[in-house]
Order: sequence, then C-alpha cells, then structure tokens
Amino acid sequence: MKKLFCMLLALVMLASCAVSAVAEEKYLGVMLSTNVMSLDTNLATDGESFEVIADCIDGLMQMDADGAAIPAIAESYDLSDDGTVYTFHLRDAKWSNGAAVTAKDFEFAWKRIAKEAGEYAYLLDTSVGCVKNADAIIYEGADPDTLGVKAIDDKTFEVTLEVPVSFFPSLMYFPTFYPINEEFYNSLEEGTYGTSPETFLCNGAFVLEDYTPGTATLSVKKNADYWDADRVKLDGIKYQVVGSSDNALTAYRTGALDLVTISGNQVAAAQKDASLSQSLKVTGAGYMWYLSFSQTEKNAQNGKLANANLRLAITNAIDRDNLVDNYVMDGSLATYTAVPPQFAASSTTGEDFSADQDAFLDYVGYDPEKALEYFETAKAELGVDSFEFTMIYGNNEGDEVAKVAQAIKEDVEDALPGLVINLQPMTKAERLDKMQNDNYDVALTRWGPDYADPMTYLGMWITDNSNNYGFWSNAEYDQLIKDCTIGAYITDYDARWAALFEAETLVMQEAVIAPLYTKANANLITSGVAGVEFHPVALNRVYKNATIE
Amino acid sequence: MLKYVLKRIGMALLTLLIITFLLFFLVRVMPGNPFPSERMSAEQIANKRAEMGLDDPILTQFVRYMGNVLQGDFGKGTSLYNGAPIKTVLSTAISNSFRIGGAAIVLGTLVGLLLGITAALNKGKFLDGFCTVFSILGVCVPSYVFLIFLQYTFSFKIPFFPYFFDPTRFAFSAVIPSLSLSLFTMSTIARFTRNEMVEVFDSDYVRLAEAKGMYGRKLVLKHVLRNALIPIVTVLAPLVVDLLTGALVVEKIYGINGIGKLMVDAIAGEGIDYNYVLALGILYSALYIGIMLVVDLLYGVLDPRIRVSAKGEEA
Amino acid sequence: MAKKNVQPAAAAAAYVPVKEDFVLLSHRDIRTDANFASQSYWKGVFIHFFKNRRAVVGLAIITVIIFFAIVGPAMNSFGYRDIVQYRNEKNKRVVAKGIEPQIPWLHKLLTGEELEGNFAEYTFLFGTDDLGRDLWTRTWYGARVSLLIAFVTIIIDMIIGMSYGLISGYFGGMVDNVMQRFVEITNSVPRLVIVSVLAIFMPKGMGLVIVALLLTEWIGMSKIARAEMLKIKEQEYVLASRTLGARSGHIIFKEILPNTIGPIITQVMFSIPTAIFTEAFLSFVGVGIVLPQCSVGTLIEDGFNNITTLPYQILPPILVLALLMLGFNFIGDGLREALAPKLEDM
Repeated sequence: MKKLFCMLLALVMLASCAVSAVAEEKYLGVMLSTNVMSLDTNLATDGESFEVIADCIDGLMQMDADGAAIPAIAESYDLSDDGTVYTFHLRDAKWSNGAAVTAKDFEFAWKRIAKEAGEYAYLLDTSVGCVKNADAIIYEGADPDTLGVKAIDDKTFEVTLEVPVSFFPSLMYFPTFYPINEEFYNSLEEGTYGTSPETFLCNGAFVLEDYTPGTATLSVKKNADYWDADRVKLDGIKYQVVGSSDNALTAYRTGALDLVTISGNQVAAAQKDASLSQSLKVTGAGYMWYLSFSQTEKNAQNGKLANANLRLAITNAIDRDNLVDNYVMDGSLATYTAVPPQFAASSTTGEDFSADQDAFLDYVGYDPEKALEYFETAKAELGVDSFEFTMIYGNNEGDEVAKVAQAIKEDVEDALPGLVINLQPMTKAERLDKMQNDNYDVALTRWGPDYADPMTYLGMWITDNSNNYGFWSNAEYDQLIKDCTIGAYITDYDARWAALFEAETLVMQEAVIAPLYTKANANLITSGVAGVEFHPVALNRVYKNATIE
Repeated sequence: MLKYVLKRIGMALLTLLIITFLLFFLVRVMPGNPFPSERMSAEQIANKRAEMGLDDPILTQFVRYMGNVLQGDFGKGTSLYNGAPIKTVLSTAISNSFRIGGAAIVLGTLVGLLLGITAALNKGKFLDGFCTVFSILGVCVPSYVFLIFLQYTFSFKIPFFPYFFDPTRFAFSAVIPSLSLSLFTMSTIARFTRNEMVEVFDSDYVRLAEAKGMYGRKLVLKHVLRNALIPIVTVLAPLVVDLLTGALVVEKIYGINGIGKLMVDAIAGEGIDYNYVLALGILYSALYIGIMLVVDLLYGVLDPRIRVSAKGEEA
Repeated sequence: MAKKNVQPAAAAAAYVPVKEDFVLLSHRDIRTDANFASQSYWKGVFIHFFKNRRAVVGLAIITVIIFFAIVGPAMNSFGYRDIVQYRNEKNKRVVAKGIEPQIPWLHKLLTGEELEGNFAEYTFLFGTDDLGRDLWTRTWYGARVSLLIAFVTIIIDMIIGMSYGLISGYFGGMVDNVMQRFVEITNSVPRLVIVSVLAIFMPKGMGLVIVALLLTEWIGMSKIARAEMLKIKEQEYVLASRTLGARSGHIIFKEILPNTIGPIITQVMFSIPTAIFTEAFLSFVGVGIVLPQCSVGTLIEDGFNNITTLPYQILPPILVLALLMLGFNFIGDGLREALAPKLEDM
C-alpha cells in the first residue's frame, strides 16, 4: 500500500511538471473534424487535407478575404486576345529547402496530376479548366508531355487552353494546381511524398512541423522564408482532430482549442451563454444537401420516380425551414435552388447566382396542398395508389443527417397519404456504392462546390455524367450546358450566366433533385483571434491574415 | 510439450492463412469501392483497379499478396492515407493502442481480482453487494460514457489531465483512456473472481485445508484463487485481444491515433480499403490465435491435471 | 404364503425354492428416505429458488420491466415515433425537443409556480429527445427489442455455446483442435465485414441481428464451458462413470454439466449487455432495427451523442439496462444455488 502511494505521488509530481511546461509561442489551436487523408495534391480529396496543404504551399493565385483570386506566386499574368493562352509571371519565392520556386515546378505538378488521373484531375479537363490535351491524357492515357503547359523560363509559366474559361484564374488557388519541386520529389522513396515534415517541401505561409499519416494531432509553424512573411502573424497552427462534435464545445471551453466547429445542438446551448454567443461565428460551408431520385426502371417500383409529378409532390412536401430551424440548427440555409447560394457571384454584376431563393417557388417550396395535387396527378398518370420507397443516407456523415432523414419521412408521409418512405442508414462507402451502381430509390446526399462557378453543380445533370445519379436525361439541358462550357456562350459572360439560369430552371421544373439546405459551420473563435478567413469553396479556412493576442 | 507447442504454431499459421483468404474474399464481396470517388470517371477507376491488380483472378491476387506479406510488405492503402505504406501508418497506431490497452488490461485485471476477492471473503455482506452493483454498472455503462465523464471531470472541471491525447506526454495523457477502458474488464473479472471463489471456498479441499489449520492470505492465494483462475483466464483472453486492438469511440473522442479508428475508417469511411482491412485483420487474428495458445498452455500450469497438450499428441 | 411354508421338520432337509417365494419389490420405493419428505429435483430447485430473497427480487425486477415494456408505451398519448410539435402564429413549427423531465402538477406542488415553456401542460416523465419525441414511450418501446435480444442471447449461449465448448473440451485431441480452429476463424473476421456480406443476401432487420448474434455471440460461452470441461473431466467421478460404461452424452450433460453451472451462469449474465450493445452497433451501421424504431442500445447511443447538451437523455436507457442486468444477475445467482445445491445454504 505504501509503495502504491509513493508511486501515485511520483506520478502526480511528474504530471504537474508536465503541465507547467507550456510553450509561450502564439500557436492557434484549431479543430479538424476528420483526419488529414493525404498531403499529396494528387491524392488529397477532403477539405481538411486541402486546408493544410494550402497552409504550406502557395499556388499561382490565392484567395482574398472575399474569395476572389489575387496573385500569389504569380506576380501577374497576361491573357492572349483569344482568351486561350495565360502567361503567368512568377515572383521570387523559395522552397523550404532553399531552392527557388520556378515555372518548372508547376509544369511538373500539373503533368503529374494529368498523368496520375486522380480524383481532381477533372479540373484540368474540358468540363472545367479546359487545359489543352488534358482529356486525352487523363482518359486515354496520352503522353503527359503533350499537356498545354510550358515553362518558358524559370519565371514564366504558359498555359494553353482549348477554349476560353472565364473563371480560370480562380481555379489557380485550388491545391490541384499547386507546384511540386521535381528534384525533391524524385529524391524521395516512392509513395513517401507528403508523409512526414521531411518528405514535404513547403513554399507557403507555414511549414509542416509535425505530421504522420493517421495522426490526430498535427502542427505547422511559421515559414520565415515565405515571400510574404511580414503578413503572417501567427507563430503556427496546432490542429487537433475532434471526432465527436459533441466534444468540441467542452474542448473550446477548456481553452485546448481556439477555433472549433460545433454541432447544431450545441449552438442553442452556446447562444444561451453570453460569453459563448459573442464568439459564435456562422460561416458557409458550401456544400448542399439534396435528395437524389433514381429514375431508372429497375428502382423505385419499376421506375415510378421517373414521373416528374411524383418528384414534385415530394419536394413540395418537405418543410425546409423546419429542417434547418429544428434539426440542423447551425445556421444552415434552407435552399430552393439547384445551385446553392453564397459561392458563385457574377464577375460583371457581383450578384450571387442564387441570391433569389424564391425564383422557383412554382416548383419547389413547402406547400402540402400543392404537393397533394401533384401527388394526385402522379397517381392518375401511373395508375397506382400507393408507393413505398427506401431512402438511403450515410450514418457517418454528420450528427444531423439521421434527424433530417426522419423529419423528411414524417413530412412526406404526412402530406402524401399512400406514400411510405423507409429509412435505410448505411456507411457513406455503401451509400456511394449504391448510388454509383444505381441501386437505390431515394438518396440523401450532398455536393460541395469545387470552384466558384454554377457549373460545379449544373455540370452534374447532363446525360452520362458520373454524378448524374438519377439518370435524368434532357437534350435541351445537355445542349445548354455544352454551349456554356465549350460552345456559343464561352466568350459572352452575361449570356452564359443567363443560359446557366435557364438550365437550372429545367432542373427545378422537373424536380430532378430536391434541394434541402446549404450547410453552414457554426464556429467558436476565442476572443483575441481575428483575421481567419472562411470560404465556402476550395479552401475552407485561410490563416495568412490571422492574428492572435 | 515443445512438440505440442510447435504443432500448435503450425496449426495457427494454417488457420491464419484460411482467415486471410476468407477476409481477402469477403472484403471484395462487401458493398463499397476501394477507390471511392465522385469525380473520377468509370475508366479512371478501372485503370486504378487494374494498376492495383484487382482484376486478376482472386487466387493470383492472393498468392501475390501473401508473397508480399511474407516479405513484410502490406502494401499501401487504396483510399486511406494512400500515399504512405501501411507499415508506417500502422506502427504508430499499434504502439498507441497496445500501450493504452495494455495499461487498461493490467489495471482492470488487478483491481478486478482485488474487488472479486474482497467480495468473496465478505459474501453476503455490504462489500459483496457493492461489488455486485459496481460490476453490473461497469458492464452496462459503455466505456466511452465513462470516458466522457472522466474527461469532463478531470480535464475540464478540474483541469489536471490534458483534454486530448498528447503523444508527446504519453503516460500522462493515457491515464483517462486507460482508466475508462479498464472498467469493463474490471467488472467482468471482479464478478467471475467473486463467483468462482465463493464456489471454491465451498469445495472439499478448501475445507480440508482449513481443517488442517490453513487460513488467511496463504489459503486464499494458494488454494482458492489458484483454483478459481481457470474461468478468469478464459474470460480475460478475448478481452485482452479486444483492448489491444483498440476501441473506436474512445479513440475518436480522446483523439488517439489507434487501431480501432483505423479499422472503422478502412471499412466504413468513403470506401473500403482492402489492404488496410487485410493488414488489420491479420494483426487481430494473429493476436487472438496467439493468446488462445497461451491460454491453453496456462491451463496446464494452473491445474496440472489438465493436459490439453497430452491429448493433442495422442490424436 | 407363510402357511404353505410350514412343513414338518423331517421334510425340511432340502428345500427347493419355488417361483412363488419371490415377490417383486417394485411397488415399494427403496430410495425414499423416510426421515425427509420426498420431492423431485425440479421441485427442489423451485423451492430453493423462491426461498432466496435476492432471486425473488430479481424476478420481480424483470417482471416489472417486462410489464412496462408491454404497457409503458401506451401509458401516455405519444407514440414512439411521434414528434411533439405545433405551429405558432407565424406558421413556424415549434418542436418539443430537448425538454427535461417534467411533471406539471408536481412542479406546482413543489415550487408553487406554473411550469414555463411552450409545452408546459405536458407531462414528460423522462423528458424528450433532440427530435422532440417522448422518452418515456421510447425507452419502454426500446426495452422490448432489448429484452428480446437478452433472451435470444441466453438461448444462444445456453444451447450453442455451452454444447460446443463441452463437446470440444470433452473429446479433446483432434476434435478439440478442429473445433477450436473453427472458433478462431469465426471470431477473426470483423463483425462489420460478416454483417455487410450477410446483408447482401438477407433483408435487414431483427432477423439479421439475430443471425449476426448467432454467428459470434456463443464463442465466449464455449470457451468457458470448454475450460470447465478440461478442469473437471479428469476428476475421479468422471473416470468412475466412464468405467461403469456411461456414454459420452450422459457424462457430458448429466455428470459434468451440473458441476460447471456456476461460471456458465455468470457468463450468460455478462454476455447480455454485450449483445445489447452489439444490436445497437448493428442498427447504427444500418443492418439492425430501422429508424425511427429504437432499442435500449440505440437510445444509449443517442443519449451519448447529446451528452453535453441533454445529459438527462442517457439516464433512462442506462437505468433500464442496469436494472435488467441486476435482475438477471439475481436470478442467475439464485438459479445457480438452486441448481447445484452444494453450497453451504443447502
């Protein structure tokens, strides 16, 4: 017993020593909701990874506080008269091993993206970036050296496009387009790039300090050699993965973290607390949750959901305000457009593409009577009185998803007697698998914008797109989208904008999807921390201007 | 004895091979994509599958995989931390989970035994009742609820321990997770010890020992506990395997980079990572089979009348 | 008879017994101990069990839980899936979510003030959850599922697990070797993998949960039964029985089983919560019960997800589970003492 007591005493003393040794540097403690999957721009697919990559590497352009593209490694750029050749002039910048950042680094990285043909390679192809020859390399395995990029000299990088792309400069802040130092990359053992601070070269505001794949804690520290080092005020950022959002609030209160994202349930609790409500900041998370309806013959009782009136009945039976007010509760916006608000503003008028949420009130809204009318029409057209559909959703995609699914079930079954929705939770892996194999009736799914143009959503509903999970097909729609990407409207910005709206109208008229809400993040930020920039697209959080007292 | 052990190890390797093949097959049947993507085209995914050799006949794949494993190469993930070799990712996770789980086992077993013995010696009295209620609560309250309670009390209300796991202060920040993980083991061991000892106390040989004038600690340890240990060791064995291979929710809440979370990420993340599921499955099976072998050997040590090995040789 | 036997002394020299001299004793029970009242084994168990105060308390607890599981959900006007809500003057929905346990009349009695809030007139004995459903109804509704799981587990343990372990341990050698390797294989494939593959062939729901439990839930018990068998089978009375020509089945189930009952009952009791949490896990991954149905296990998980904001939510299901366990344990202890009456309280 005595021995045990001594041991305990020793433990306590040891522990108190450990407590007192707290670093005095101004590190910002930031919560991540999931692990950083990869720091390799070719392999990273999640927002957390992109955020950390962007902390450490600068691309040609960067985001300003409002999400507009401003120069970073590129000091300036020229655009040829026909709008297809961009020439970027690079500034003097250094990699963390002292090497200069050159046009070659961009050329190498871009060709590698096209060659490896990973998740985000499509940003180069004709559906988005339209870099010359990208399609042939990505989809047909052509020689990566034929990609339309060229390092004219160390400081000049030339990109040739197939057709003019109005939002091309804003793509440049996306990590897929970031440079990698070829010499460094080739000196590494295969498969080890970006798996530790030693195997990851940085040219950005911060350098990787502590990281192993799978870790729950990682940190970056200020890069003294950053070309814009004066701007960066933080000594570093300490990231902590918090797997349970319920835990975030307490973690924030202990002071363990300075910036956390809390769940909807906690927002109500935080609002009641005077000190917490001051620190609460709701920011757009970008992605939109929506219902996808399978229209093929083999699903939904022999393709019953191919009937537009049935889909319209469902979409008009859902009380979206109820969803966001009572179940999501984190400031998410009820959404009535196929393109969510907040991320795509017109570059001529500056107006948000989806600012007017009432634009499609004729087709979507909460109106049980109208829903019932549509339902009666559908019943008459289909000659069936009762329907039973299964709605699939991921049980590991956020606390609120199961609640939203149950609320939708209640709403729809209430408004449309004779229609039963069975809920089927599953892992996200299985949900994606079912959707990609077209083996579902209704799915609760989401999509986040990859770039600041409505096309990131509207491009999905064209015939044969891999994200067109409903298998809806409309020739008029396909033509409109084609005209906006490689056809008639590419040089006329306002006409393109109008055509995109026309396309969106088609989607809403037929209720191809039932938009539900646009997700927001409810953040708590310690007072004294300022200047963290939040964006709904590409990079969710940027710390270059952040300060801490 | 040595012959028996060697034979058992041979059998274990064969079993492990069967398990690996089963897993190898089952994981390919499971719904979910090894290359989950919402942006890649069907051809892109097909190319990646071909690159990993997933289109070859399953036996070819299996032989190739086993060949690599025998050289200590578990490949790299298909969707999970896909840049890094599995070995490097796994080694950190294993070291975290083993240390935290190991501490939980030691703590749970020792305290459990102590509680059980105390209860048995005080059968029908207050301490016995307390032990019963404690062990029932211990198995009814999931370890993660207990963790939240400990974290709230000792990291927030009384901020003594770190709120999240900190690898740089390992021992210190392992206290809360180890403690909460040990609760189930503690309760189970306490209950089994108590019930077993009550029965052994009643047996003729203990009566005889008492009649011979034996009493106190010597009686309890030498005669009663030793004879009660067989079921205790039996229930402890699977608990050891479970604790060493990590606890998902505890790891998630306390921010531990451990095996439990890795396994769930591998099966139920965006897709299914075949290579991680296999590597972790082999690890788990090897541990389980190894510990079962140790248990069988322990039986003979605890009670020399038991001769699992002798029987094994006869057959 | 006596009369017939009386013979003249001279003729008594060589008496040859005749058939009539012998009488079957079958009408008399020679085993009956005249000093104690006779009773059958099971009657003895019954009497013993009900003499045990703790066992009776345990039985009462289980009975009460079963009673509430049956009638509890009907005791108020809320259904298990009903969201308590109304529309306010602005046509916005007001949902009774996250309301702490409240009894309006009791509140008035204690504080002298009326309850405040939008749903002050309702009684929520256990409060409401984060969707606005009454927890009293849901707790007892969930108890149904979990009681079923508990009984299924007991049956799986007692039938499959016990027989498997006893047989494996008794025969030993190659039989044991093969049977134990099979256990290792079954136990080594992650449950999530097995269940996902099963779900391709089977409809999801309680049936699948029971199949999943059938696959692995007996393993712990089989290990215990085997260990006990290994310990006991070398004892003298088993050897004696075998020498007398008893068959294996008789020795295993009639001679040895009664002597292993202690650890077996403890194991049964302790596998119940594990099974209940397994069900919750399976439901969470989407192969168990379907939302908005619930079980004690899923209610505990829901409660845990809201533990910092609605801490009262986790208490009712945990208490029900703990009481269930307490009841089963008391019954188990009582049964053990009654079934193997060698303890001092005999």
